[in-house]
Amino acid sequence: MGLLAWVTMGVAIWHFAIFLPDRFFGGIVGSFCFALVGSALVAFAISGFQVPGNSDVTIMTALEGIPGALIGMALAYFIGVRRGNPALDL
Amino acid sequence: MSDRRRNLFVLLFVGGLVAASLLVIFTKPTKLGLDLRGGVALVYQAKPTKQSQVTGEAVDRTIEIMRQRVDAFGVSEPEIQRTGEDQIDVSLPDVTNADQAASQVGKTAQLYFYDWEANVLGPDCKPDPQNAQVTGGQASGSGAGGLSRYEAVKRAAGCPPDESGKATTNGQYFLVDNAKKTVLAGPQESRADLDREIEDRKIATGPDTDVVKTSSGALVVRAQKADNGKESTRYYVLRDEPALGGTDIKDPEQNFSGGATGSGAPSVTFNFTDKGRAIWEETTRGIAQRGQENFFGGNPQENFQHFAIVLDDELISAPYIDFQQNPDGISGATGSEISGGFTIQSAQELANLLKTGALPIKLELISASSVSATLGRQALDQGLLAGMAGLLLVSIFLLAFYRVLGAIAVFALLVYAIFLFALVKLIPITLTLPGIAGLILTIGVAADANIVVFERVKEEVRNGRAIPVAIKQGYRKGITAIIDANVVTFMVAFILFMLATSGVKGFAFMLGVGTIVSFLTAVLLTQAILGVLANTRVASSPAALGAQSTRSRFRWDYMGRAKYFFALSGLILVVGALAMGAKGFNLGIDFTSGTRVVAEFQQPATESEIRSTLAPLGLGDAKVQGLSGAGFPADRAYQVSSRELKPAERVELEQSLDERFGGTYSFETIGPTFGSTVAQSAIIAIIASLIVISAYIALRFEWRYAVPVLIALTHDILITAGVYALLGFEVNTATVAALLTILGYSLYDTIIVFDRIRENVPRMPRATFSQIVNRSNSEVLMRSLATSASTLLPILALLFFGGETLQSFAFALAVGVLSGAYSSVFIATPVLMYWKEGEPVWRARRARVAKANDGLVPAYATAAGGASTEVEPEQKRGPGRRITEPEDPERKVSKEEFDEMVKEVQADTGAAPVAVADEEVESDDVMPSDAAADLSPEEVVFEEDVRESKPERRQKRKKHGRR
Repeated sequence: MGLLAWVTMGVAIWHFAIFLPDRFFGGIVGSFCFALVGSALVAFAISGFQVPGNSDVTIMTALEGIPGALIGMALAYFIGVRRGNPALDL
Repeated sequence: MSDRRRNLFVLLFVGGLVAASLLVIFTKPTKLGLDLRGGVALVYQAKPTKQSQVTGEAVDRTIEIMRQRVDAFGVSEPEIQRTGEDQIDVSLPDVTNADQAASQVGKTAQLYFYDWEANVLGPDCKPDPQNAQVTGGQASGSGAGGLSRYEAVKRAAGCPPDESGKATTNGQYFLVDNAKKTVLAGPQESRADLDREIEDRKIATGPDTDVVKTSSGALVVRAQKADNGKESTRYYVLRDEPALGGTDIKDPEQNFSGGATGSGAPSVTFNFTDKGRAIWEETTRGIAQRGQENFFGGNPQENFQHFAIVLDDELISAPYIDFQQNPDGISGATGSEISGGFTIQSAQELANLLKTGALPIKLELISASSVSATLGRQALDQGLLAGMAGLLLVSIFLLAFYRVLGAIAVFALLVYAIFLFALVKLIPITLTLPGIAGLILTIGVAADANIVVFERVKEEVRNGRAIPVAIKQGYRKGITAIIDANVVTFMVAFILFMLATSGVKGFAFMLGVGTIVSFLTAVLLTQAILGVLANTRVASSPAALGAQSTRSRFRWDYMGRAKYFFALSGLILVVGALAMGAKGFNLGIDFTSGTRVVAEFQQPATESEIRSTLAPLGLGDAKVQGLSGAGFPADRAYQVSSRELKPAERVELEQSLDERFGGTYSFETIGPTFGSTVAQSAIIAIIASLIVISAYIALRFEWRYAVPVLIALTHDILITAGVYALLGFEVNTATVAALLTILGYSLYDTIIVFDRIRENVPRMPRATFSQIVNRSNSEVLMRSLATSASTLLPILALLFFGGETLQSFAFALAVGVLSGAYSSVFIATPVLMYWKEGEPVWRARRARVAKANDGLVPAYATAAGGASTEVEPEQKRGPGRRITEPEDPERKVSKEEFDEMVKEVQADTGAAPVAVADEEVESDDVMPSDAAADLSPEEVVFEEDVRESKPERRQKRKKHGRR
């Protein structure tokens, strides 16, 4: 259950990546993957390497997905810039 | 074969099939599932025993034995089938007593005969035949001399291992509480099974708890039941060296003790096999001689020795051997008898169990449900009402939207319903409530296919094609999207069928069958009808087809506004994620395990009254939910969900409610194993569906099209999950089925949009990808809205008329379908657009367009003066594709056809291709070089028309039925 909340939050945050010029590694899909994986991994670490069950989740569980999604997308952006991806601002 | 003849052939063929289907419908009975006719459903999980591992062969043999038991039980139309690797589903229609059915069908029935006194183990793990404190003396087996379960387990653990090779187990595992001196879990054949039981039953372990393994040489057996049928709490430890097994006896029958002259108490008589007889005589002789040897005067009965009959670790009977009457033991020639404490029914049950033999593997009941016939009938009525309402709503929608075309589609839907119902009866398919839901949903699928084609036809008509040509082109162009969508729906249904639990299987099966049948009726039949009607007055005007308006496109900058829709989706998902965190899911007993009782009372009741009835039973925390408004009378129908109840507890609950309110009851008990199986299979099904869908999209389009589809599907599923968490709707197996169905439906719309993008890419060689997507969206938005509406209408019918069982399912579907329609246009296509625009070729094209438009890229690709930039894509030219004559030679040629003919002629004469787009014409120096291009449509004379004047040709045509 916790994993679903993290991933949902990660995907939610990714939706706002569209407001940035697309220099992500792998484009918009790359940012999606990084946000998804980032939210799950970082939240997993934050929660002490445990996935909360349905009865253990709190509102904080969902918020734990935010830093990972942001870190993931930032990483995708950084890699994209390093690789010289030209900005795609549509 | 000409189109006209083909159409007539199709109509005749369909007419014949309809007649045959009606015959089947009126002559064959409908096979109803348990949920619609009442009955008992049991789900077992197979576990290994010392004698056999859980192999396919062992499960098949088990099913065979279970079937024999069910036959002996006298159940008509039972269904016993294997699910997955180690589960067995048993459906027993019209059976009302689930507990009795379970005890009959799933009992392992390992029967063993022991020499009692020689095998009951004392404190030192040795037999002590003369010690009544150990054996129970003349009250042997009744509990006298017995131990508490904890003591028995501890004693058995300290005994030496088996050396005889006769042991029935390898030792058994128990969890004990040393402080309270109780047994908390077990027996299990392996440590892993015990751990699973501890986890499933959420048993807390601590410093006082301990896992104990009994010796392979000792068996803990429960003392026999009291005369009033009450289970004993005393146990014995037996040296596990049985003299005889269930395989050594034959012809067991329920009888009466001592025949006509005996006590007349119910008993079970049986004969021995040859081998069994010899062992029996030897064993009883030994028992008799031991009694004789120990007799030193007094009452001989006090020295009678016993043999014990143990069934599944429970003592059934411990009769004595009268050494005076039978000094050489008992001859097995006339068989033997088990008596004592039987009722006629329990004696019959034991006889039946012995008759069919022991199951080769151990079965654990993980789910049991019972539906009363009354509630089943009600569910059937609700399902049928929802079906009719769905059909009616879709029909009204189609007629209002497509007029003549809609009438044809409605006719096709009726034919579809007849075909499907005939198939249900013919195969026969067991019709369940989820199956009816699947049937209703396929109404939407069938209507979707019609809408896809009709919108294409209307588009062709608006583009100036004559109606017969528009129909032909509409079907030709629409068919790929329909095939893609139907294939995906079918694949999802197939995966669901393979992996889902039995209830959902019915839904998946009907969805799959319905998808195939709907394809035949929605495409072949409607095309044939339209083909026949095309030259008649009925379908002669665009207005009749609902295509009189030229405003077919929703020209809007979809891609420019995608950011706002992304933000909207993001916000919805944030709310969903917070709801998931704050509230979690309201998981039903399918996942959490428990017992659900649905009661329809004779007298009105309130929730508090029901709670007060439940409280004395220790069920004060049970969830009580009113079902009024779901087809039940107000204040009379309730659902009680509680922790997993034992059969006796559940019966007590029903009796308490019955005493106070009266009524009929259905129940469902789900064990923890079943819940985890459901969750596991759901995750596998979702992953498998996503893989299959991606592979298919990658094959049919290109791999870059598959990824946005997956993202859109993820979006839809997460939004549906978020809405569920937010509103607190119960999540059960039906919700999982709905989620998987959403995958298929969400894809339908996406495929329609992507199909058009794929078609428009070669048409618009100078447009940016965003312009192509905008154009494609504007062309198919109407179609997407219409298909979503036609799918949503039957779902709404399910939601409002389908009853409590289907409401949760319908709600998930409704949210998913709405989200799917939205995500197709506002999530999948923008992602695809962003991704494609990043490719060098599209970047370059975008730069060119921007440069030509002062740095801005217009939303739509237009040349100077607002003209289109389209070109007709190069197509493979074959004889079948060329327009050399109209369907009807007397008909005038439309402008569109005329242009196409001009191009055909140019292709033949080797003239340079003429771009139809104005921009191409004005910018390039390519000009039509063929004289035909200068003619108006009215001036074109077909070669065929010239030949019309020849009388012999006309005769020949007539012969073939052409005008």
